Amino acid sequence: MADHSTPNAAGAQTPDLTARQIRRMKRFDNPWRNPKLIWGAGLLLGIVAMGILGRIFWDPDLVFTGSGLTRQPPVGLENLRGQVGTWAHPLGTDGAGRDVLALLIIGAPNSLFVGVLASLIGMSIGIFLGFSAGFIRGRVDDVIRVLSDVMITIPPLLILVVFQAAYGDISLTMMAILIACFVWQSPTRLIRAQVLSMRESGYVQMARLSGASTMHIMFREMMPNLVPYLFGSFIANVTTSIVTAVGLEVLGLGPQRIPTLGRTIYEAINSGALIQNLYWWWGIPTILLALMFIGLLLINLGLDEVSNPRLRKL
Amino acid sequence: MGRIPASYLMNRAITLVLTIVIAATLIWLIPRLSPVDPAEIMLGRMTAGAGTVEGSEQILATLQERFGLNDPLLVQYAKYMRNILFLDFGLSTASFPTPVSTLIANALPWTIGLMLISIVITFLIGNLLGALMVWEHTPRLWKVAIPAAMVFTSIPPILSGLLLMWIFSAQLQWFPLTGAYGLTVEPGWSWDFAGSVLHHGFLPALSIVVVTFGFWALGMRGLMITVQGEDYTTLAKAKGLRPRYILYRYMIRNAILPQITAFALKIGLLIAGQVLVERIFAYNGMGKLLYDAILDQDFPVIQGVSFVIILMTALAVFIVDLVYPLIDPRIRHEAA
Amino acid sequence: MNVLDINDLSIDFPTSKGVVHAVSHFSLSVPKGRRVGFIGESGSGKTTTALAAMRMLAAPGFVAGGSIRLNGVGGTDLLGLSDEEMRRVRLRRISYIPQGAMNSLNPVMRVETQIWDGIVAHEGHVEPGELQRRSREVLAGVGLEPHVGQLYPHELSGGMKQRVCIAIGVCLQPDLIIADEPTSALDVITQRHVMQTLREVQDKIGAGLILIGHDMGLMAQSVDDLAVMRLGELVEFGDVRQILENPRHPYTRELISSVPLVGGDSFLDSTPRAPEVQTDTGAPPLLEFRNVSRRYGAVTALHPMSFRLDGAVPQIISIVGQSGSGKSTMGGLMLGFNTPSTGEVLFKGQDINALGGAAALTFRKEVQAVFQDPYACFNPFYRVNHALKFPFKRFGLARDEAHVTTAMEEACVAVGLDPSLVLNRYPHQLSGGQRQRLIVARALMLSPKLLIADEPVSMVDASLRATILKNIHDLKDKHGISILYITHDLATAYHVSDYVMVLYHGHVVEAGPPKEVIGHPQHAYTRLLIDSIPWPDMDRDWGSAADARADLEELDRISQRPETVYRGDVPGFHLAQA
Repeated sequence: MADHSTPNAAGAQTPDLTARQIRRMKRFDNPWRNPKLIWGAGLLLGIVAMGILGRIFWDPDLVFTGSGLTRQPPVGLENLRGQVGTWAHPLGTDGAGRDVLALLIIGAPNSLFVGVLASLIGMSIGIFLGFSAGFIRGRVDDVIRVLSDVMITIPPLLILVVFQAAYGDISLTMMAILIACFVWQSPTRLIRAQVLSMRESGYVQMARLSGASTMHIMFREMMPNLVPYLFGSFIANVTTSIVTAVGLEVLGLGPQRIPTLGRTIYEAINSGALIQNLYWWWGIPTILLALMFIGLLLINLGLDEVSNPRLRKL
Repeated sequence: MGRIPASYLMNRAITLVLTIVIAATLIWLIPRLSPVDPAEIMLGRMTAGAGTVEGSEQILATLQERFGLNDPLLVQYAKYMRNILFLDFGLSTASFPTPVSTLIANALPWTIGLMLISIVITFLIGNLLGALMVWEHTPRLWKVAIPAAMVFTSIPPILSGLLLMWIFSAQLQWFPLTGAYGLTVEPGWSWDFAGSVLHHGFLPALSIVVVTFGFWALGMRGLMITVQGEDYTTLAKAKGLRPRYILYRYMIRNAILPQITAFALKIGLLIAGQVLVERIFAYNGMGKLLYDAILDQDFPVIQGVSFVIILMTALAVFIVDLVYPLIDPRIRHEAA
Repeated sequence: MNVLDINDLSIDFPTSKGVVHAVSHFSLSVPKGRRVGFIGESGSGKTTTALAAMRMLAAPGFVAGGSIRLNGVGGTDLLGLSDEEMRRVRLRRISYIPQGAMNSLNPVMRVETQIWDGIVAHEGHVEPGELQRRSREVLAGVGLEPHVGQLYPHELSGGMKQRVCIAIGVCLQPDLIIADEPTSALDVITQRHVMQTLREVQDKIGAGLILIGHDMGLMAQSVDDLAVMRLGELVEFGDVRQILENPRHPYTRELISSVPLVGGDSFLDSTPRAPEVQTDTGAPPLLEFRNVSRRYGAVTALHPMSFRLDGAVPQIISIVGQSGSGKSTMGGLMLGFNTPSTGEVLFKGQDINALGGAAALTFRKEVQAVFQDPYACFNPFYRVNHALKFPFKRFGLARDEAHVTTAMEEACVAVGLDPSLVLNRYPHQLSGGQRQRLIVARALMLSPKLLIADEPVSMVDASLRATILKNIHDLKDKHGISILYITHDLATAYHVSDYVMVLYHGHVVEAGPPKEVIGHPQHAYTRLLIDSIPWPDMDRDWGSAADARADLEELDRISQRPETVYRGDVPGFHLAQA
């Protein structure tokens, strides 16, 4: 199998390759110029930009109850009562007269915020525990390994349901911290496995021979090589965190007074928006969430291809 | 050979027991730390219903006694753990005095039924499609169609549930909007009832299948690419075996192993996702029970439902762990 | 009559930098019953040619021209067959034994099932009893017991797995067998057994054989005709004896001369100085093992051993053994990467596992290592100079940045590298040989007292091995560093070392000066090791499969009660006699 590519590129010519074929193969040269990665990042940046620009060009106060007439359709569409959408509320209003566009502008960044914060905290815990398990080994490793095996089985949603049902209203940050308690397991497992295999690698042994301290080995030798894995794990955790947060919100839990996409959907279902055909009320937040998840998925696929070139053939 | 090593079994059993104990403890501990008193909630509901309640002080005291809230914490914990061992979660506060276990027993078959259909089928379809994405003999059309279907991949099932429900139930009215069976049919072993159940269960199951098959397909694709490069696949081809035989017995057979491990790890999230789908479709399962309990602040039910679902998850993981050595001979060897 | 005729074959691989001609205008015939070797370094196109005959080229490679005719199917061009027709040719007409002995079998299928499915794929339904009989027969043909059929691949050793692959390859009695480096992952004793088995069964069924490899010695012992390939072209073809004795192409000559021989001329041009006899200076020995052993659970990797290396005069001590002999465990113990189960490892009189703070840092500075895998020794995140710069500063050897740079450059020059070409590169931009020389340069910069060289050349292309060993040898001669050379390769140990210990299952079985131990071995194990090395010498008899099997049984007997043969001492090193 080792013989398939000859380093004899110098004497090679380029006869009958189409421009398209060459372009396709060029992708193998710089892994970061990965279309999936770029599209995914673009989608997420678009949502963040909407959150920032929206606050400048649109009135965020329209998220309050009674900002406009209730159940107005988006521009160019008609609701069951025959009302036509106006530019005052380009994406329509909900059952309490809140402007759907303003809900998106405030709500979408909130959902992303919870996901990113929870994932960041979870990653930090994961890095700490993973390195501890991989380095100290012995008892510490056993405890951390069993604990993460156990905690990975417990669905975060159910424990959080118990928690929020008991405590009632909580802040976005608090929700992120709670979710973080359940997203440290996979990074812990991942980092532990990587650290255990890297310990035996030639360059770590070389560093030990060079009299390097444990800190140096962890942060200067191992950490840089973990970055693609950490990044991939981070994005996967953002997805899990947002799914959990939206799940809680759709059950009517989570922050009660702050507009989030999940809570908007919860209110829509509760008010029978499906039967009354108020599709914009729940549909637009749903599509935005879907775009967010597709963006995260694309980034994750892209990262997989960056770190594993064999996947890059589709 | 042929037997599962004891150390492996021990290890898995410890994980199972620990999972159950930790989950049970969390479920018990969290409400204890909260300022809300379940007895007061219940009294509050009585007050709301009847205007005033005479002797509310005594009732409160009796209820607190009844819930065992006056014992020292450790005694409460011990009693709770003993009860939970027998799946006794006390009485529902919302539909007092129905035992929580009865409510759960009524809801559980629906959830398990839906789960078997959706999660298991998804796993099978997803892996098969993932394998076909890599196999060199897959028809061209499939090679284009499968990646296109991946767009749905990481959307949570609640969102797909909403969309499907709107299109097929609200707009086209092909499927009923809510419930697990029609109001006009009598539950029992009749064709009418079975048809109604299938009719009602189709959309919830579909909304899970549509969005989760991609997860398995993508994972399988990566594993298949690895397996495709393995020497045993090369030798299988060099042996002149039929392509389909190589696909099933050499490629999928090996690539599926890590997927089964992933299934054990992911099962908790999948069940939680299904609970949410049940809530959207007002399906008569655990999800709806949980949602109603949240609305009613019915603590024993919330605790019971959460615990039973976690228990199911832990048992499912345990079963997968038990089956795994039977399909991967290397595990049997390792610990021996 | 020819089994296979390859005529004017060209194979191209399109890449983003243009089309690479992996094989160009290659013509060759394999006569019935004859063994043809394809030899060349990686990238020479030898495997690609073989895969083309199987119609199993990896994408995006394709046959750009020529024909491959198989006479068993009426001389039709294989390239013109349909997929289904080609499937029927595989195994039945041409069988292929792939490179990775370790991973060639399906891990979740019993061995016999993997023989049966091949038979069934070509003959349709066959009675279970008949299948059983045939699988036993072919397994017996490669010297495996019937019960092996019921095992899973992970329960077999590497040599057994490769013999199972051979059994699969011959179960339908094909016209041609293609064996792609069938012994690359095996040690020399097993290699000999597997090669002899392959020759024997091939002889029996009278098939043609194409043996692909890079080891001229192995070819000399195994094939009749030899095809030397370089960069996709056939540079020389002919009878193997004629090629070995009278090579025409300079590349062939290079390949032949790169195989180190026991005895004969040394590839080291410097004449080793006779070590001056040093009386006991009273200083503690540089390195001492006191009754050191190492166990892993129930397995003993190293039985108690004691030795003393004075280090007053630099010496190279070789530790020779096959995988699993405990030689790398010894290396780990000396570096303090591994702790002894009993006894203690002393460096200058101090237990290395009880050192703290400054003493530990000094120990690190004075004991350095070169490892087997030059690809893994550099952190892919940094430029290669990180590996040289960091320890230099860490051990307080650097006066300032300029000093670091000069020291690095001098060390590179000393191992024959151009510093401006290598130091600022990333590891993946350098070849294995360059990296391994950089690691030697690193050791040189730190000027330790002791260097542990653990298989330093086993993963480097043959043509570079001599150069790197010379670099290491210079460390002793020119820089006064004592070296422990850990290797499986007796021929290089013969040339570089002052003293040799042969390790088997954690015991020293023979020890003494290399001219004695390797030149005139007395212990059965050492003799077996030396007999098993394939040399590019046509007149040397490598023995038959039966011989190889008898030797393996002898080996089993030895491992029951290993005894040590002492072949004399050298001044400055003392191995305690048990």
